[in-house]
Amino acid sequence: MTTRSEDPLLAVETPQMTASVADPGGVPGARPEPAAGSARPPTEVAMTVRDLSAWYGQRRAVREISLDIDARAITAIIGPSGSGKSTLLRCLDRMHEVVPGARSSGQVLYQGVDIYDPMIEPAAVRRTIGMVFQQPNPFPTMTIYDNVAAPARFNGVVKGKAAEDDLVQRCLTRAALWNEVKDKLRHGGTSLSGGQQQRLCIARALALEPKVLLMDEPCSALDPVATLQVEELMSHLKADYTIVIVTHNMQQASRVSDTTAFLTMGEDRAGYLVEVGPTSEIFTSPKQQLTEDYISGRFG
Amino acid sequence: MASEAVAAFAPTDRRRRVKANLLVICAAIALILALIPLVAVFGYVFVNGIRSMLSLDFLIQDPPADLSATGGGVRNALVGTLEMTGLATLIAVPIALGMAVFAVEVGGRLAQAARFLIDVLAGLPSIVVGIFIYTSVVVTQGHFSGLAGSLALAIVMLPVVTVSAEEILRLTPRPIAEGARALGLTRWRAIMSVFVPVGLSGIITGILLGVSRAIGETAPLIFTSLGNNFFTLDLNQPMQALPLLIYRNALNSAFDAARDRAFGAALLLILIVLGFNLAGRWLTARRRLAGSSR
Repeated sequence: MTTRSEDPLLAVETPQMTASVADPGGVPGARPEPAAGSARPPTEVAMTVRDLSAWYGQRRAVREISLDIDARAITAIIGPSGSGKSTLLRCLDRMHEVVPGARSSGQVLYQGVDIYDPMIEPAAVRRTIGMVFQQPNPFPTMTIYDNVAAPARFNGVVKGKAAEDDLVQRCLTRAALWNEVKDKLRHGGTSLSGGQQQRLCIARALALEPKVLLMDEPCSALDPVATLQVEELMSHLKADYTIVIVTHNMQQASRVSDTTAFLTMGEDRAGYLVEVGPTSEIFTSPKQQLTEDYISGRFG
Repeated sequence: MASEAVAAFAPTDRRRRVKANLLVICAAIALILALIPLVAVFGYVFVNGIRSMLSLDFLIQDPPADLSATGGGVRNALVGTLEMTGLATLIAVPIALGMAVFAVEVGGRLAQAARFLIDVLAGLPSIVVGIFIYTSVVVTQGHFSGLAGSLALAIVMLPVVTVSAEEILRLTPRPIAEGARALGLTRWRAIMSVFVPVGLSGIITGILLGVSRAIGETAPLIFTSLGNNFFTLDLNQPMQALPLLIYRNALNSAFDAARDRAFGAALLLILIVLGFNLAGRWLTARRRLAGSSR
């Protein structure tokens, strides 16, 4: 196990990082196709993570991660338990700091703006960068309709009944749930099955018209059929949204994602980035031995 | 194979079974012991109070000027109790909810200090609350009043509602709380539109606990609302309350009329508290059904 804090791996795998660091504005733009090119067209960077570290109290959970997240693509974060996948994800919409005693350092740029800038309000970040959780969490006291409409109403995304009706139908359709619930919009949000609840939560997140969707193991509480539905949904959504998904399931990562980032836990028990690249490459010809060991099931 | 399975499911040895049964028996005995005073008190009050309660006059007439005289009712005390407790609830509940929200959502030293003071307040003998209101309100105003009584009851109610509301808000399931935050809801919005509705049944139960506590209080009313023999809705006047009426009449229980009146009023008070609790249960049960029609 080669786990050093000034990790040579990081330097090796992020040539484009150096390029974007050199560009102080951090303005998103076309970036050069990765050298070992798959046939993907040049992509736009939606978010850039720079030297991100995160702590829970004294314990560092994530160490110095730098990473580009492509726009309108699915980025999967994989790695063993304790490698900081969820923590990294939660740093991307400032949900990490909600945990008492949690803090982070480094930068997370969205369209060139550091979301940790003191002038930036966390709630505003979270409206632009939506999140779907491991456990489906529709609001239990709200109807299906209100689960989608209420947060949008509170945030001023919609005004008026007609606009709300329209939004609810649009988002539920987007989340591939409309046909199943259109006749029971006034039922409780928790009356649905687990898979339906998760799609309801996706619809609820979409109702705020976010640009990025963060998904924290969204299928781990779902059965295989519901998992497949959510995966198909993600494939449709990536036409319009930037999606980052944390998953334990490597098959899922290889099925749905365009880019895969592999994290593991270092000797200091903090997670660090081992390798990031096009999913096809990570799963067929990873550059790092650690990655290969993990994806071939030798550890983790 | 089969014999192994049989061995695995062999009867538990006798000593373990006896011990387990003994525990159940002890628990049952404790339950019965706990129920004895409850049933005894309610039964005693019921048997002695039901005679007064059977006549409608008991509810719609005021008591006679002379406690020893028969007839009359407890209308003034009933109305006074409902009015003062109602006002106390209106005063205490918003403050209690505000403090609970502050403690849970903001926290910090100030919240800890407030929580400590609330705990002290909860342990304060209620007569001390009465004396406090007497010196601060009654003496200042120059007369006893229903308003002073309401304030005293509000102080009695405050810690009960605060503590229970705080516990309930703390129990907001983490996925729900994080879901609200991740949707960019402001703190205030998340509390009012998500956390409070989710915890509503618990919060209502807490309010009912507070009401039940306040409605039966006598000591804080003695120096504040004082009580009187007349019917009044005016909160600036001394105001009668059921516990005060029970107290005064029970002191004169040598007279049958006063004794019966005290028991009747006691039964009425118990029924009111019971009614509030049933109403609260019904309300929250109905809400829960509406919430999830699984």
